[in-house]
Amino acid sequence: MPTQRSRTSDKVTIKIPRPLYDKIAVLIDGAGYNSVTDFIVYVLRDLAGHHTDKSERLCDTEIEKIRQRLETLGYL
Amino acid sequence: MMPSRQSISHPPRVKRFLVLGLDSVPPELAFDKMLDFMPNLRSLLGRSTYGPMMSTIPPITVPAWSSMMTSQDPGQLGFYGFRNRADHSYQALTIANSLSLRKPRVWEILSRLGKQVIIVGVPQTYPAKPINGSLITGFLTPDITSQYTYPTTLRGEVEQVVGRYILDVENFRTDDKEALLRNLYEMMEKRFKLFRHLLQTKSWDFAMIVAMAPDRLHHGFWKFYDPEHPKHDPGNPFLHCMQDFYQAMDAEIGEILELMDDETGLLIVSDHGIKRMDGGICVNEWLMREGYLSLEEQPRQPIRFSQAKVDWTRTKAWGEGGYYARIFLNVEGREPQGTVRQADYEAVRDALIARLEEIVDPEGRNIGTRVFKPQAIYRECNNIAPDLIVYFGDLHWRSIGTIGLGSIHTFENDTGPDDANHSQYGICVLTDPGADGAGYIDGITIMDVAPTILDRLGVDIPSDMIGKPIEGGSSCPRDS
Repeated sequence: MPTQRSRTSDKVTIKIPRPLYDKIAVLIDGAGYNSVTDFIVYVLRDLAGHHTDKSERLCDTEIEKIRQRLETLGYL
Repeated sequence: MMPSRQSISHPPRVKRFLVLGLDSVPPELAFDKMLDFMPNLRSLLGRSTYGPMMSTIPPITVPAWSSMMTSQDPGQLGFYGFRNRADHSYQALTIANSLSLRKPRVWEILSRLGKQVIIVGVPQTYPAKPINGSLITGFLTPDITSQYTYPTTLRGEVEQVVGRYILDVENFRTDDKEALLRNLYEMMEKRFKLFRHLLQTKSWDFAMIVAMAPDRLHHGFWKFYDPEHPKHDPGNPFLHCMQDFYQAMDAEIGEILELMDDETGLLIVSDHGIKRMDGGICVNEWLMREGYLSLEEQPRQPIRFSQAKVDWTRTKAWGEGGYYARIFLNVEGREPQGTVRQADYEAVRDALIARLEEIVDPEGRNIGTRVFKPQAIYRECNNIAPDLIVYFGDLHWRSIGTIGLGSIHTFENDTGPDDANHSQYGICVLTDPGADGAGYIDGITIMDVAPTILDRLGVDIPSDMIGKPIEGGSSCPRDS
């Protein structure tokens, strides 16, 4: 994986294609972002927003709502 | 995302591909009885390759749509219905969701190749996984407060376009059929409106919608439509609701067709068909009468099987309800209080199959039950498969898990009014732009859909996909 992790830092380095970096730099010029990194972090946070650390399983309330719907629909 | 192993290796035959999914629409209606009310579909059939499409065993929304989009059978996917055993205990069941899928679906393969996708309402897409495009999750989303879009920012746009999005009809088991019908129309109209909006405002290479409304219509209104249904009343006020709804659905299809150019491939598909439901077989009552299942105490009123006090030390098998039955054996060394010796497993299973196939209706006529061993119908059996899969009366009878009804047969569903059960064949209509279709053909299976889409887009078909691209009619490769 193209990432480097420092044992002491809470950040990692990700490599992206230079042309993409240059394109983003033009895109955000004057748009209020301090850097290309700021913009990329903003976009990725939005995309990954609901995939928090509990994403690997649904909570009990969600499961119960789905179970009730399935039963009502006749699937169970 | 992980790097893709697929590559674009042969000339695409289409620039883009669109899939219209109509849950539960059967060939008998789409290609025959409703065709007079569906001018857009009729016109399409004239230039398409189409026919009945064999669904998964079982022909149920989960796993069918996921099998269709991965070209993997339910055993390979490792889920055999909505609910699956989490372990070999007697109670632990899990509900299959998007996280249960370990194989990439067509749009995930395409996303990884950098193609842009739009996905609306496909079952088993909640929780949403990142894709290269826009996604509205399916009806197994807990409710409208859940994160039902990807990316998250799409949600505001959805609400601007259609107001309150409808994941599924509320209060499906109502006797207020007028209200249910209104709700079904609203759900369908909003979903197609949103889909059209996304098609018109986003760049896309692949787009897919699944409308759940026809399935809910069939289950809620079949007896009003089908003269062969045991509860049919020829003077009922909903006699024409099926044709009216199919007509409205065809108009939605027509509006989508108007947005397509002559470089876009099209599939109209359903995940299974539908047939009248004659009644229910109380699977656990039957197992008790046959000596396979024992209770510590008889219930005084109908209760769910999960609430029953089962004497597992004297039980060989138990069953789950649903449109089909799953039967589980209580096996020594596998279940906590197993009674069936491993050496006797196949003999017990075979004896049970023989008895199941002898089940009769209240008049003593054999109902034609079909029983499947998962190991005989799937290429693999991942996770925990049922020991037997049962179609009571070849799916004219549903499986009732409830015990305490005091009868093997019932003519009321334990979850409320329901007029129809699923059937094995859905529909497939393939339109290759610039080509004559092959017309009506037999032999299409649900596993052929994903390879067909990849083939038309010029993408290598993963070697573990079961299906083959549908041939279609005479055509020339698209100039690219």
